[in-house]
Amino acid sequence: MDVSEILASHEARQKLNVVEKEIPLVIDAGYLTVTDLNPVDKESYEEDTEAYLLATARDGVQALFSTLSALPTVPSPYGPLTQLPPPTTELPRAKPLPKPKPPTKWEQFAKAKGIQKKRKDRKVWDEEKQEWVNRWGWGGKNKEGEGAWLSEVKQGAEVDHDPAQELRNSRKARVAKNERQQLQNLARAQGSSSQAPEREERKKDIDRTLATTRISTASMGRFDRQLEGEKKLKGVKRKFEPNERSIEEEKKNSLAIISKLENESKRAKKEKSGGDEVLNVRKAIRSASGGKGSAALTRNSSKPKGKKGKR
Amino acid sequence: MLRTVKPKNARSKRALEAREPKEVEGPRQAIFVKGTHTGEIVNNAMKELMALKRPDAISFSKKNPVHPFEDASSLEFWAQKNDASLFVVGQSTKKRPHGLTFVRMFDCKVLDMCEVGIEAFVSMHAFKTPKSTPGHRPLLHFAGELFDTHPRLAQLKSLLLAFFGGPALESIHVPGLEHVVSVSLAPAPPARAADDGTLLPRVHLRTYTVTRDRAGRAALAPMGPFLDLALRRHVPPEANAHLLALAMKRPKLKKQDVQKGLGKRRRNVEVDEMGDVRGRVHLGKQELGGLRGKRMKALRGGPGESGEESEEERPRERKRSRSGD
Repeated sequence: MDVSEILASHEARQKLNVVEKEIPLVIDAGYLTVTDLNPVDKESYEEDTEAYLLATARDGVQALFSTLSALPTVPSPYGPLTQLPPPTTELPRAKPLPKPKPPTKWEQFAKAKGIQKKRKDRKVWDEEKQEWVNRWGWGGKNKEGEGAWLSEVKQGAEVDHDPAQELRNSRKARVAKNERQQLQNLARAQGSSSQAPEREERKKDIDRTLATTRISTASMGRFDRQLEGEKKLKGVKRKFEPNERSIEEEKKNSLAIISKLENESKRAKKEKSGGDEVLNVRKAIRSASGGKGSAALTRNSSKPKGKKGKR
Repeated sequence: MLRTVKPKNARSKRALEAREPKEVEGPRQAIFVKGTHTGEIVNNAMKELMALKRPDAISFSKKNPVHPFEDASSLEFWAQKNDASLFVVGQSTKKRPHGLTFVRMFDCKVLDMCEVGIEAFVSMHAFKTPKSTPGHRPLLHFAGELFDTHPRLAQLKSLLLAFFGGPALESIHVPGLEHVVSVSLAPAPPARAADDGTLLPRVHLRTYTVTRDRAGRAALAPMGPFLDLALRRHVPPEANAHLLALAMKRPKLKKQDVQKGLGKRRRNVEVDEMGDVRGRVHLGKQELGGLRGKRMKALRGGPGESGEESEEERPRERKRSRSGD
């Protein structure tokens, strides 16, 4: 039996699968991409562009397929899946990297103490009922005793003492505490930098209030008993501008005054046209014109003029 | 600016969470926008590019007065609104006929742009051949030396790779690969133009369907669309260097991945012809001297310890002699 022919044909077929180029093709299997960095063959390009493009594309695709076939596969219900290596080309991301979640106060503490996180089961064993019950939620273990039809009352307890209510209150308090801590963690996560100015603001506020209260007595603080370590109140020092100033500064100041006046006149206008608190203009017009409106009022006022002319 | 909304129910919370930045990103959504005037060519080209990009494509059917190179604010707004990070803006003017602008965003801000002019367009319908299934991953083929050397073409490659290449996959079903997007360059234009960089070679964008015979030989058939493109205006990603720096940041590899060999080159592991993974294990030099074998009389002691041995031997000899008696 002569198999040399079969072997030769197989070899020829194998050859067709192998792509040989001057500069080897760059293959990025992660993105299923092949880059052919060989210069364009001008002659064959000009001869038949489409055929040339198709031929280069075929070579590239062939090389890519032979690379893919060499990669390891895993079986799946849909057929073998080829495991792709991570891509070598680096493309820019569409969104920034996610920021790591800041640790909660408990997490910080647990880390410092080396406490491992333990996962609690959703169900716990109830010895009395001899079955698994929820740790919380419907029929939860944490509500144990709240629905008891009979409970022991210690001697000397108050008349309205309700043990079930007591248990419920303490559970609610625990929930509220947890919620508060969650909020605190959130606030801390949102930025410790924004917390400091808030504190400063509060300090100033307190100082201002204190200063106001100190001069809010009948003697304006004159005959008040001084506390130990209390500082003398500092009043506002008057400041005077120098008589001689640069022209620019003077100009700026006068412009500021003008703009202030302008604003004031605008505001006054607004108040006049709109709801003035002393006089309700709309109501006044309505009563003066007998419900006919301001237009009728002006017409009426101009009428006598006409009559005068006639006479 | 959009309001930052606090989710009121679980569904909107999930929807918002899906938009949050992730370590491993999914496919990029592309929005196809028509400018103030688009001719038939641009319309059809956009329609067919969108057919290739589906299902990660959004079409804006109305015309919009959008000029990405002058003012990108509306693009940024749309990107935020639609959670998209790619744009294809079609615009045809007298000065720049049949223009397509590819825009890539980072964090809802424009990272880079590249405008191309369509010089020739052959529709998908011109070829009576089977088409690829929507949503299938295309192979990508780039041919031309300038893709590696010229910054404009490197940018075009990167843009098209982001457009068609999509996210990096872990695994793929190879027989399901149906089509290839091939981007090739025409021969370089005359040298006088090449150095000042204004005249760049034409770019041929072709799409073919791929079939493979039993022997593994690939054969290509034209699928369409075929586009001949000329490069026009652009904004390089380096123009937004601060954004690019953020965009190129990679997540730190997890310890588990490093152990699995991801991220680093896998050494001493190879796949043989049968598809089995074979590893080579290197052992240190064997030291047989310290080996503890079975204690045997014949191995015990050497000629140097004869003195001790003789003392030990004596009682046994006596015993033997007695038994002999």
